[in-house]
Amino acid sequence: MAKRSWTQNRDAKAAKMESVASLLDGKFVKTENAKELLEDVIEPGDKVVLEGDNQKQASFLSETLASVDPEKVHDLHMIMSSVSRPEHLDIFETGIAKKMDFSFAGPQSTRISQMIADGTMEVGDIHTYLELYARLYVDLIPNVVLVAADKVDHDGNLYTGANTEETPVIVESAAFKDGIVIVQANEVVDKVPRVDIPGDWVDIVIPADEPYQLEPLFTRDPQNVTELQILMGMMAIRGIYEKHNVQTVNHGVGFNTAAIELLLPTYGEQLGLKGKIVPNWEVNPTPTLIPAIESGWVKTIHSFGGEVGMEDYIAHRPDIFFVGKDGTMRSNRAFGQMAGQYALDMFVGSTLQIDKYGNSSTVTNGRLSGFGGAPNMGSNPHGRRHSTPAWQSLRPDDDPLGKGQKLVVQMVETFGSNKKPVFVDHLDAEEVQKEAKLANVPIMIYSEDTTHIVTEEGIAYLYKTDSMAERQAAIEAIAGVTPVGLRSNPKQLADLRARGIVALPEDLGVHRSEAKRSLLAAQNMDDLVRWSDGLYNPPAKFRSWS
Amino acid sequence: MLNEVPVEMLKIVKDLTGIELRDDDQAYQNSIQIQLSILILQLFNIRQLKKIQQVPDVVAGHSLGIFAAAVAAGVISEKDAIRIVYVRSQKMQESYPIGYGMGAIVGLTRKEVSQLVNQVNSDIEPVFTSNQNSELQTVVSGSITGIKRVLTLAKTKHAQKTVLLKVPVPSHSPLMQSVADVLEKELAKISLNDSQCIYLANYNGHAVRQVSGVKYDMINNLVHPVYWDTMMDVAEELGVDTLLEMNPGQTFTKLIKSKFPDFRTITMNSMNLDDIQFLLEKWKRG
Repeated sequence: MAKRSWTQNRDAKAAKMESVASLLDGKFVKTENAKELLEDVIEPGDKVVLEGDNQKQASFLSETLASVDPEKVHDLHMIMSSVSRPEHLDIFETGIAKKMDFSFAGPQSTRISQMIADGTMEVGDIHTYLELYARLYVDLIPNVVLVAADKVDHDGNLYTGANTEETPVIVESAAFKDGIVIVQANEVVDKVPRVDIPGDWVDIVIPADEPYQLEPLFTRDPQNVTELQILMGMMAIRGIYEKHNVQTVNHGVGFNTAAIELLLPTYGEQLGLKGKIVPNWEVNPTPTLIPAIESGWVKTIHSFGGEVGMEDYIAHRPDIFFVGKDGTMRSNRAFGQMAGQYALDMFVGSTLQIDKYGNSSTVTNGRLSGFGGAPNMGSNPHGRRHSTPAWQSLRPDDDPLGKGQKLVVQMVETFGSNKKPVFVDHLDAEEVQKEAKLANVPIMIYSEDTTHIVTEEGIAYLYKTDSMAERQAAIEAIAGVTPVGLRSNPKQLADLRARGIVALPEDLGVHRSEAKRSLLAAQNMDDLVRWSDGLYNPPAKFRSWS
Repeated sequence: MLNEVPVEMLKIVKDLTGIELRDDDQAYQNSIQIQLSILILQLFNIRQLKKIQQVPDVVAGHSLGIFAAAVAAGVISEKDAIRIVYVRSQKMQESYPIGYGMGAIVGLTRKEVSQLVNQVNSDIEPVFTSNQNSELQTVVSGSITGIKRVLTLAKTKHAQKTVLLKVPVPSHSPLMQSVADVLEKELAKISLNDSQCIYLANYNGHAVRQVSGVKYDMINNLVHPVYWDTMMDVAEELGVDTLLEMNPGQTFTKLIKSKFPDFRTITMNSMNLDDIQFLLEKWKRG
């Protein structure tokens, strides 16, 4: 019997690199040879990671991949945390790709549901971010990864800077398992400002024709914060942040949480809470946090990714942010998600629909948006051991072996922007599951993990309920005049209030009449710039003068 | 509305169908006249855009509009489009002389409208959920009595607006199968070409690149709802950010503006060709 070779993968990679040697100058391939290179190194059926999240996109490589000859490259198994750009799906229509494992598909949610329904795309599964990253090391080990860097030196050392995000976790999964690491770079330099990815892990570098796509996804103009959101923010600060002594937090992306950020230096200060709540954050560098940082509320921030326009501000605040010796921030999406899961007292987010049991989803009719960060951040990790006052405050009294729980807070207005109820008997996600033939209903945050719901009516303390019937009653009590809310009655409400399961603004000492825009620490983008000492540089679309 | 259309184009219609298109109110009482007039106007618009060297990345037609869309995509010739629309309009006129039509409901979701339709629909009073023009603008199609009952129910569910449309045919419902059968035979006689751009199909709202999908839509779109709202979602996801609306109106420009306020729009019925060319080239330069 012939002796088995234990280096077959390594040999195959070496042979493949040898076959493209004529295109390579060191690690470098000319921009115009990118298509030919991909056609030579990617085999039909390969598992390919294409870097893209909700902010940063390896756009040159995705466009190049979409241009390859489907006769040569086909039936790829794509692994993508975010399906964002048209060509991410075009490659399924042309046959270049066949199967997809992904997390988020918000910007392509209609097309992706159509393509799943008509069989153009086969779905492996829809993941939370952490699951997808984890599987890169177990049963979705990639053959080829396509990633983006800001700068590269002649040895292939990469600088990914503030938007390091997922690059390390993707590159490592291929570099040490005989996958091929292909990088698009905005700029080739003699010396990178710092090494975010060692050149040793990189096989091929292609200078891109233009910088990778980057979206200012977490920027919210204070101008658009409504008085209803301010009211809800005041309730949340009193009824949740203060009540549970919350120290560590993540805010989802949205105006509800932007309102809270802008209320800390004003309303929070009036309540004497400064120095007592939320010093430590896992959150992207959202501009609406600037006033809270400047007034000493926020002590530390670690980030999943960067935010366009915040670079200079961050560089001047290394005590707050994670900043390299070179003066720019380093982000890490995988660590951020891990922190969100295990290190935080609380996640606060929003959603499009909540059912009568408290399950929530952003998947609505005909749109399979997948999941962003919320399902990891918004789930209670049963493996957690360390204790904090907030976590302990949710511990049931009647169980000697009981433990605490992460606070998972959903903030929604009872009616959405389309004037349709947010509270529903059945989530649209249930129908989408059938249409797209998914194994599970795409629920973003499960009822069992949801500890609080805040609406303009009040707060439901779901963790205090001890039966599903009581949980439903608590949700009905704050669901306003939606069909779910209309089932509530005054007697039930009085009982729930008496037992502390539901709180109305007056129960929290919050006066509706005080919920005014003048209470916000910044009223508009100019105010944010002023708070930042002129260091924040808003993207053009957020500038009132352009 | 035909005063700009070259006489030569009107003559093509006359030669192919025997119908003389007239630009007066009386002519527009006749649905064959209307359909052919709108088509020829749109074919003229396509010629105008060709003249200024503007080619679309994506085409979308609403109901009758798909024939001009298919011409713009290079799938069907002008003459074949005229022949097919002539047959289609004739058969539509013959199919339900009295008692059938369409109604529109504003303010309810498709799901809500479908629940009402299911309560009413029967063999005696057939009514179906039809076109989706926007998230909260749904059309129902079928017997007039059935439609009226659905509209009344919609009012009780707090619809903002309900209206019986001036359409004498239960278009975009299964009641139109006989017309689709005729069109299938007619289209079998015609040779079609590969699409030069993406075509958004009425019948399922998908982006279509193959000629077979465009052909299916031309035969069958009367039997299915027009999923306009979905078509526009798909267009946006494909990266489209500019919409040019051909004649006769501005309906679809208004719909897209309320759905995607950042879209750039051009309406051919309110702008002259020089301005259109100027704007399109300016936007292309970025």
